[in-house]
Amino acid sequence: MADSRTLRRVQLALLPVLLVVEFIVFSLLSPRFFTPENLANIAYNSADLALVAAGVTLVVILGGIDVSTGFAVGIVAWTVAKLSGAGLPAFVVIFAALVVGAILGAINGSLVTFGKVPPIIATLGTAAIFQTALFALWNSNDLFASPVAPIFSGERVLGVPMVVGLVIVVYAFLAWFMHKRPSGRELYATGSNPEAARLAGIRVRRLTFLSYLTIGVLVGLAGLIYVGRVGVVQASSGNELTLLAIAAVVVGGTSILGGEGSVLRTLGGLVFIVVLQNGIVLAGVPPLWNGLMVGTTIILAVAIDVLAARKANRPLLRGLA
Amino acid sequence: MNRVMRSVPWSDRRVSLALLIVIAVVVMSLLSPYFLRPDNLLSMTQYGAVLGLLALGQSIVILGGGGGIDLSVGSTMSLSGVVFGLLAVNVGLDPWVAALGAIAAGAVLGGVNAALITLLRIPPLIATIATLYLFASAALVLTNGIDINGFDHSGFAFLGQSKIAGFPTQVILVLLPAYVIAAIILSRTPTGRRIYETGNNAQAALLTGVNVRATRAGLYITSGALAGLAAVVNASWLLNAKAAAGAGMELQSITIAVLGGIVITGGIGRVSGTLLGLVLVVILNSGLQLAGVSNTWQIGLLGAVLIVSVLIDTLRVRRQRT
Repeated sequence: MADSRTLRRVQLALLPVLLVVEFIVFSLLSPRFFTPENLANIAYNSADLALVAAGVTLVVILGGIDVSTGFAVGIVAWTVAKLSGAGLPAFVVIFAALVVGAILGAINGSLVTFGKVPPIIATLGTAAIFQTALFALWNSNDLFASPVAPIFSGERVLGVPMVVGLVIVVYAFLAWFMHKRPSGRELYATGSNPEAARLAGIRVRRLTFLSYLTIGVLVGLAGLIYVGRVGVVQASSGNELTLLAIAAVVVGGTSILGGEGSVLRTLGGLVFIVVLQNGIVLAGVPPLWNGLMVGTTIILAVAIDVLAARKANRPLLRGLA
Repeated sequence: MNRVMRSVPWSDRRVSLALLIVIAVVVMSLLSPYFLRPDNLLSMTQYGAVLGLLALGQSIVILGGGGGIDLSVGSTMSLSGVVFGLLAVNVGLDPWVAALGAIAAGAVLGGVNAALITLLRIPPLIATIATLYLFASAALVLTNGIDINGFDHSGFAFLGQSKIAGFPTQVILVLLPAYVIAAIILSRTPTGRRIYETGNNAQAALLTGVNVRATRAGLYITSGALAGLAAVVNASWLLNAKAAAGAGMELQSITIAVLGGIVITGGIGRVSGTLLGLVLVVILNSGLQLAGVSNTWQIGLLGAVLIVSVLIDTLRVRRQRT
């Protein structure tokens, strides 16, 4: 089918085009939008989301999902604020954040791989449990904390927040790993056909577990950034990241059906969403409309993706929902 | 005695649920003298009626298979409730007429899910996460975050605040009839058979002439309409309509459905199991509330119950295979 290839090309070209349009429109709507100050702000404020979204990309490529990331970031942020408040040295706090994040990721990974609980059920359940855990830890005491290390603060080098460097390193590593390393390729093979992947000798369970563990470690880093950025930890801290991370992945064009996508696309989707959120506020739209915008964007992006995938290779499913 | 024990179908989820319910009632009434008091039982069942309607919609959507899930039930309820409030107060319609409007609004929102899932073929999980967002923020935008009151006339409170033979009216007139009708349709009619066939094996169903897409679309629309009905029952009980009325109810409805034995991959389960799951969850919530445990702990407990009930399911399947 020739038109499927066209549609696929349109789909891949769509996001960059939309990004350019978005920047032009918001620059016209608000003189404050396209300034180094505002752009640096956007980058700094979305660094934690960027790390979580990179992790979520891995499990979505596997055909899974994680809806527990937000409160997991909250729990890590609480740990960070508590430990740094107790005066522990930065490297201890950073290590603790990564360990706590990894443990939370491992819980999800174990449920999905060893418990064979479907990812949506497992992570809906742990999201509820993490929420309660954060509530119990918080115990009606807002924790205030300063950034653990300069890199997690808004500090800039040549006008660019240092934390952007961290995000770039993570994305570059994951992109390299997934495209060049055998384990990375196995991720795609497993996502497009788990049974065939298993028969081909891929250790699907191990791969799945490691993907959730990776989310956990990235959640750990995100928690460190979150504390530096927000400065306070409350009972609902991190909650907003869950859906935004999934939105960034699907808007970027990683197929929710598994087996295809990349972290670089997620980065594109992420920039689109955070710029949209920033731009509509600068353009004077009430923040209440935020959810409507993000929701609509997700639906449009996924609809295009699914239409393209269907045209390409799914004649068998005609008539099926 | 032995023969009686052996004749009980222990592998049926509903039997173990019934046992758990008995245990929960005994434990809760020992823990708190208020538990079995009529006013507590009343408020429990009034809350249960709202949640039960959402869980029923969730159950049939999951039964239809194909990754079927409706994460937007809570937001659909919120938005339908806001539509109800606007119709009854701002437009000035009779509350009973506005109630029909709310149910229709719920069906339309369910139709949005159905269209996204069956026409555009967006996976249900993503489609309903997106509408969860959309409907909730539409409710906020419509109300500006302010509660709507002032529709307590024309005897509207009858539905949510009166009793028939000692039971809350909404349970007798809405919740139980809804479950009975759903159970009859699912077990006794060609429509029910089509739903189970679709959920079990959509390819096979398609080959035997079942219109899989129309069947699933119908389930999402029904789930939406039930959420609209839940909004009406909720408004009549609390006598206000607010944008966050259904927030968090998606988790509860999924937990109840899965706990009740509706298998998440579709095609297996009965709504009578969902009803028992509802009773158990409502008892646990009420007991925790009486014990002075905050709402947030109930959320965590619910999450644990959800995971454990699925874990038990997979263990059981594994044991049957060996």
